Amino acid sequence: MNDTEAQPAFFAAEGLCKSFFGVQVLHDMTFSLHPGQVLGLVGENGSGKSTTMNIMGGVLPMDAGRMTLDGADYRPRGPRDAESRGIAFIHQELNLFRNLTVAENLFIAGFPKLARGLPFIDRAKVRVRTQELLSSVDLDVAPNTPVSRLSQGERQLVEIAKALGSNARIIIFDEPTTSLTTREIERLFDIIGRLRRQGIAIIYISHILGDVLRLCDDIVVLRDGHRVGRAPRAEMTVERMISLMVGRTIDQIYPPRDPPMSPGAPVLEVRGLSQRGIVKNIGFDLRAGEVLGLSGLMGAGRSELARILFGMDPHETGQVRVGSTAMTTLSPANCMAHGMAFLTEDRRAEGLMMEASIADNVALASLPQFGRTWMRLIDRTRLGDEVARVSASVQIKAPDLQRTLVKNLSGGNQQKAVIGKWLLHKPSVFILDEPTRGIDVGAKYEVYKIVNRLAAEGAGVLFISSEIEELTGMCDRILVMAHGEIRAEFARAAFDREAILRAAMWHGIKEVA
Amino acid sequence: MSTTTLPTERAAEPARRRPRIAERLLMSEYLVLALTVLYVLILWPIVPSIATRATMLDVLAAMMPLLVVAIGQTFVLIVAGIDLSAPSILATASVVGASMMTDDGGFALASGIPILAGIVAFVAVGLLIGLFNGLCTTRLGMPAFIVTLTTMMFFSGFALFYTAALTDDGSSFGDLPASFVAIGQGTVAGVPYSLGVAAVVMGVAHLVLSRTVFGRWLYAIGRNPRAAAISGVPVRRAVTWAFVISGLCAAIASVLYTGRLETGTPVLGQRILLDIVGSAVIGGVSLFGGTGKVTQTLYGVLFLSVVDKGLQLLGLDLASVFAIKGLVILLAAVLDALRRRLILRA
Amino acid sequence: MIARGVPGNRTTLFLLQNTPVLLFIVLIVGFGMMSPRFLSLVNFVNIVVQAAHIGIIAIGMTFVLLVGGIDLSVGANMYVVAAVLGLFLQDLPLSVSFPLVIAIGVSFGWVNSWFITRLRVPAFIVTLSTLFVGRGLALYFSGNKMVGFSPSVLSLGRASYLGVPSAIWAFAIVFVVAWLTLSQTTFGRQVYAVGADPEASAKAGIDVRRILVAVYCIAGGCAAIGGLVSLSQVAVASSTFGFQKEFPVIAATVLGGTSLFGGRGGVLGTVFGAVLIQTVENGLVMTNADPYLYPLVISAIIFIAVLVDSSRSAILERLERRQIRVERG
Repeated sequence: MNDTEAQPAFFAAEGLCKSFFGVQVLHDMTFSLHPGQVLGLVGENGSGKSTTMNIMGGVLPMDAGRMTLDGADYRPRGPRDAESRGIAFIHQELNLFRNLTVAENLFIAGFPKLARGLPFIDRAKVRVRTQELLSSVDLDVAPNTPVSRLSQGERQLVEIAKALGSNARIIIFDEPTTSLTTREIERLFDIIGRLRRQGIAIIYISHILGDVLRLCDDIVVLRDGHRVGRAPRAEMTVERMISLMVGRTIDQIYPPRDPPMSPGAPVLEVRGLSQRGIVKNIGFDLRAGEVLGLSGLMGAGRSELARILFGMDPHETGQVRVGSTAMTTLSPANCMAHGMAFLTEDRRAEGLMMEASIADNVALASLPQFGRTWMRLIDRTRLGDEVARVSASVQIKAPDLQRTLVKNLSGGNQQKAVIGKWLLHKPSVFILDEPTRGIDVGAKYEVYKIVNRLAAEGAGVLFISSEIEELTGMCDRILVMAHGEIRAEFARAAFDREAILRAAMWHGIKEVA
Repeated sequence: MSTTTLPTERAAEPARRRPRIAERLLMSEYLVLALTVLYVLILWPIVPSIATRATMLDVLAAMMPLLVVAIGQTFVLIVAGIDLSAPSILATASVVGASMMTDDGGFALASGIPILAGIVAFVAVGLLIGLFNGLCTTRLGMPAFIVTLTTMMFFSGFALFYTAALTDDGSSFGDLPASFVAIGQGTVAGVPYSLGVAAVVMGVAHLVLSRTVFGRWLYAIGRNPRAAAISGVPVRRAVTWAFVISGLCAAIASVLYTGRLETGTPVLGQRILLDIVGSAVIGGVSLFGGTGKVTQTLYGVLFLSVVDKGLQLLGLDLASVFAIKGLVILLAAVLDALRRRLILRA
Repeated sequence: MIARGVPGNRTTLFLLQNTPVLLFIVLIVGFGMMSPRFLSLVNFVNIVVQAAHIGIIAIGMTFVLLVGGIDLSVGANMYVVAAVLGLFLQDLPLSVSFPLVIAIGVSFGWVNSWFITRLRVPAFIVTLSTLFVGRGLALYFSGNKMVGFSPSVLSLGRASYLGVPSAIWAFAIVFVVAWLTLSQTTFGRQVYAVGADPEASAKAGIDVRRILVAVYCIAGGCAAIGGLVSLSQVAVASSTFGFQKEFPVIAATVLGGTSLFGGRGGVLGTVFGAVLIQTVENGLVMTNADPYLYPLVISAIIFIAVLVDSSRSAILERLERRQIRVERG
């Protein structure tokens, strides 16, 4: 396979940097590609893989650094520009029109016409071209099949065919196998092999390390936005990738935590919870005063589980007890009535009313408690006092709680407003889904302190995070999810970040073994 | 890394600044009041009678039923819905209610309390149609504008059908009891009853929206229905109630109108569809939900009523009135869209 | 809002997809039993002739609904066209006036699209406003009087070519052009793409704004043509000409399977929907039903069509929901 090494690189990225809201997420990223090369990109969630690829695919502008394509400066103005330069990005969420046919999806930007001056599509030509493209990705469906009839794997092949149709020379795959069957994965790999023989360079991002090792010529490992290793396949092992990804530096400091002397009574008991296609046979206990971590890779089902527990998504089987009550129906209102609270991972879309004041946001979940008389007139004095008290306790920094709009706050203060909303409700079970995502180090520390205080006051906290380090720093116990199931459980004494990551990547590693 | 939110971050690059004064005026609650004054000032030289006491009292009395309907509409707009069926509720309530009290239907004449029965009928019609609109929107997932457009058509037709079936001349229910007519026409110490009714409706609506749990829920739903649902707000129930309130307000307005006209007529409110939505929106209640106050609706209704009176005094024909009204509503919607863009950019 | 408890399976979906056909059969059998004349060929041709103007406007509406928009101003547009035609015909021949008023219909649509695409005002409120502005303008053009047309207009409506009435010719031509445009041109396929996902369309390099402007112009043009067909049948335009025509037009389109939520449907279904609506009206006439019942029946039908459309969309959304667990091997 090293025959391609001889060819010179035609794409290079040097010193790419990127920050969001003042937090630098990508530091000095450098790599190059030559024709026919398959480059693997691995790292934990948030390590900078997607950011790098979004810069390359024209989705994001870079803050600093330089990219060259064929020796010339490459600075895409947008995804379309990147595509016209021969760089195609196949996202995890596919960009196909399900109401159109396969052929139409390939040519939607402009169909070949019957004759000059006539607007009509040359269906015969479209069919022939589509068949050519489909056969080059080994997809045996009729060109006029509606995309809605295709499986996820077949849709992915259509995306690849589309990239080939636009004469792509570099194809970026972001987690392409997450929703594919084994057979579909095999087929994808065959096609990737064929593409590289045609001289197309591939960037392959995946959590399934076994796949990466099998497929890629070179592997780049990222951690916290830094490139921490690059090696040809021969010098790489799954173990080495994991230890590089985890690293040894601890730059985050966690507030001291006194684990409860004796475990309290269970405040949340889950048994045999399943929903087809989402989670399977989930069972665990969360005890009073406990911070229970939930680890897992993106798409492992952590957030989905949280949403089911809070009654936002349906489940088919299973029992949930909150405190001493066996829940018959799960709905947000019902869960809240039994003392549950849920901080969602998508703060902007689901956590906050961005155009409302801090006070309005903090009050939202607890309004009925402040209603007086049959009209439920709000006791504004008491509500104002309580909102002020809670906001002070979570240290929201803003000039005026009643006037400052949430959209004008920093990410950290926004998150504190969401936490404040739930603290006002005095939860006994608090599910936190990625509570420190997109907030700066100082604010993170304050969120940790709040979590500790809550636990000390006797609440049970289910702490979901992509950062293993954060979980090991904060939790009394960690559950690891993979593929919609709980795969492992670690007590605090047995925390081992490599072991946790290995459990989360169970799937990818299993296939190497 | 949540890449989905990133394109908007990118769009938030410093935009060119426009004159601040225009922006502040656009965002101001009093913009429409200023427009009203401006309009009067412009018309004054042409039709001096626009600024007389008699005209003002006339406008005030005439705008009360519209104010009541528009307040109901405000509730629905706050949850980012729309109720286009209000005119048909006015018409249906008018004929059904009137049929209780007159010889043409006379369903409640024997009861001994025909007026009370009539008013109950008015209210029941409003509540039921509102409930239907609300349930279709929240439980069946149908778009609010098309549901209410359909109920609008159905009940407009129903009112005509009902009238044709029950009355001799087929066009209206006349001879309403004097004590009912008094609701629309009577005065106490020079103040029309209708003003009192509208004031009470306004007061209650204001209280509900600004001071109660339910009111806060409505704003929350309009601002972010997903966040509201996750925070335990009973979104579907609250939205359904907003439509019911809109129906109720239309029914109350129907009582006032019917009393004023002394007849129950199926063409009641046929022309005011745009006025209802338009007055709320031009007052500053957003079509996109989440904002709006009863006072804003009041200003909007005042503006439209003054515009209406001015056009009337100018002696313009129906055609021009139609066209100008349409333009005013369009202007209101454009202002709303511009305001929203400003908010999103800030 | 949280979608739960929607009955989601393919059988329900199949039933929902075919509700209009079932409705059609039920209606034909029902009316046929009540009035024998209803089932004659003459009556059927009559239905299609009467359905032509609704059908033509509904074909324009199909384009708008396909991109997820709405146009409530089509009835007003018809009236504007009628009023302006009345003015033109005082000096100009038919052959010049017709194209001119169609151009006016298109401009009406363009104005709608300008507010919708440039100022981002919701389509329903823009077209609701222009409905009133349009009717006002038309009243002004007609001097608040009924517009009468010369016998030449009426003879056009009464004419037949090759034994087929002119209205059906117009209907057929508009249908064929629309069908070719939607199914055989890049523009047509892009209309579907924009309706399914405007953001992805922009990413795929489609000029979304151009498509939106075009569909509202098409709707305006179709409203004008429909108005002309209708005029040629009645030869007068009173102040209620085109009044509330948006209802049967939307009904025909949605009944024909075009979704209010965009991206699904087509003009063949719309033709069927228009004939279905007219069949109902015709049946009501044939069975001597109270004319006051017509709007009740039509609105009930719209309601059913929208209900079917909403349920279908909810089910499709559920079926397309992403899964994270795939049983491997």
